[in-house]
Amino acid sequence: MAAKKSASKKSASKKSSPKRGDDGRYPETKILSALFDVKDGWKLAVAKKHGAYKNLEKALKSMSPAEVIDEVKTSRVRGRGGAGFPTGVKWSFVPTETDKPKYLVLNADESEPGTFKDRWLMELDPHLVLEGCLLCAYATGVSTIYIYVRGEYPLSQERLWGAIHEARKAGLLGDKIMGTDFSCEAYVHTGAGAYICGEETGMLESLEGKRGHPRIKPPFPAVEGAFGCPTVINNVETLAHVPSIIEHGGQWFADMGIAPDPDNPRALGSSGTKLMGLSGDIKTPGCWEFEFGITVRELIEQYGGGALEGRTIKAVIPGGLSMPVLTADELDVPMGFDALVKVGSGLGTGTAIVMDDACDMVEACENIAHFFADESCGQCTPCREGCHWMEKIFTRIKAGDGTPADLDLLERLFINIEGRTICALADAAVWPLRSILRKFRHEFLAKMPGHTDPHEKDPHAEDPKASSEPAAVGAN
Amino acid sequence: MSVPPESTASVLPQAAPPEAVAFPPKELKKECEDILSRYPTRMAACLPVLLLAQQHYGGWISPEVEAGVASYLEVSDSHIRGLLTFYAMYNTKPAGRHEVWVCRTLTCWLRGAEKLRQTALDTAGVATCGTESDDGKFLIKNMECLGLCEVAPAVFIDGQPHVNVTPEKLTELMEACD
Repeated sequence: MAAKKSASKKSASKKSSPKRGDDGRYPETKILSALFDVKDGWKLAVAKKHGAYKNLEKALKSMSPAEVIDEVKTSRVRGRGGAGFPTGVKWSFVPTETDKPKYLVLNADESEPGTFKDRWLMELDPHLVLEGCLLCAYATGVSTIYIYVRGEYPLSQERLWGAIHEARKAGLLGDKIMGTDFSCEAYVHTGAGAYICGEETGMLESLEGKRGHPRIKPPFPAVEGAFGCPTVINNVETLAHVPSIIEHGGQWFADMGIAPDPDNPRALGSSGTKLMGLSGDIKTPGCWEFEFGITVRELIEQYGGGALEGRTIKAVIPGGLSMPVLTADELDVPMGFDALVKVGSGLGTGTAIVMDDACDMVEACENIAHFFADESCGQCTPCREGCHWMEKIFTRIKAGDGTPADLDLLERLFINIEGRTICALADAAVWPLRSILRKFRHEFLAKMPGHTDPHEKDPHAEDPKASSEPAAVGAN
Repeated sequence: MSVPPESTASVLPQAAPPEAVAFPPKELKKECEDILSRYPTRMAACLPVLLLAQQHYGGWISPEVEAGVASYLEVSDSHIRGLLTFYAMYNTKPAGRHEVWVCRTLTCWLRGAEKLRQTALDTAGVATCGTESDDGKFLIKNMECLGLCEVAPAVFIDGQPHVNVTPEKLTELMEACD
């Protein structure tokens, strides 16, 4: 068994390089996005022609809930919301013996800046999303699904409600689905504009009608989540993968993408496909689906059309706003969970923001710090006060009133904010800012005429412990 | 709960509590009941019911509406006030006939959101975001990421997204509002 496993790993890693075409172009793989180009793909009649709900029928009529979880575990699919936690493992934490009702809360509060992949899924293929939810509900014994959609996505809400009504009429939702003993209800819950409600426990508080203050874990939501009951929380894209995993089997999914590193127990691999997006300073922003393996540079040059006319790319945040930046020399790294952690960044939501040479990094930092200061929920002092403090310092430097001591002060703030709060918002604020400060230090110093850098060499550059790995959050 | 001692009570503010509106009004009754039926607690209906109420009462939640919703959902007024001040989409001040949201986060900022914000403020004739224009026509809000990054910069006018917006296009859109 062990030998067989490593053989399949080898073939998977071998496979990843010759996938590019003769022209060197990395091909798209349309699984999640199969209906994106189909007219009216969001209507049940059209979606059904393309196989919607046949995998739900397969699971309900020929598989036990435990078998569904096993397939998802075999697929090694990892959460697509940013943390990358193995989905099958998460599902297996939900207690099977309990008198309480169980809930599924679908995280469609896609408030991470630069991220719009879930919006595409909900608008263009809501039935795929709903089918994924129902498969998850069947596997974990859930009887009520809440789809938490951010308030800024009116069309997503409309399409999901439409899908729910159509599915209920067709007997695909409600009592005794498809004539089996499985019954399940689904509702769309509308957010009202708060980034923090994308954090899973902040979302639960918000669902319960409170301010979105993240909870201290444990207890984990799988045991005590929404309304004090066991709750599964997954990202939209994660659950949209489940129907095809049930159709083709978990191994089919696991054979795609980047295999786990047998020598590193934390490198769980990046199996399957991923919706990857680009926004910012590039010619053709958008969203495409790839088997894991495409590099950041390939994504930008082959699909994003490269830098704008007459400009050069300066920095890229590979996943939303909350990950450390990569410089233009660091882009030959695959868009994968482990590969990006290895170079000191992270996949996050898999939708990159590109900045070019016209972007002033001090002003970018001010913009980023303002975002986190604005969106901090205010529970934990280091984040509530720290994010505002960082923003003020960047504003000061931008105005030409900064000194090199401000850069040291920022470094001390980073240490006192990161990892010292209930949720990961504070970490998410520190990572992009610290990486920009370290990689573009000269731009900050250039705004301090008359001052020289007291640390000609970055004091932290040789200390690998000084920069903590983003992957730590994924471990929950 | 014990009554505060007399010495303390005498310094507490004596303003009369707002007179609660009768909530829900009959136009919203069915929808409110429908929302309540989805959740195991009344409190869970707070967010969607407040959004409905805001739409119904001219784009903002006054202290009177706040008190009405609170008593309908059996939560305290302060709980509702907490939600209104926490979530960006609620207004606790008059919000003009048209609400314009300009995204300010990184992608839109890279694509020119600052110019858009200035255009919006100039067209509305107000100095800062978050204040209703004198003629009661516009409220400009500086919003964090609206999730329309591939088509940045983006604005919302009265809940409807507009993408790849230029200052000229924004002026046109705002001038078309009555």
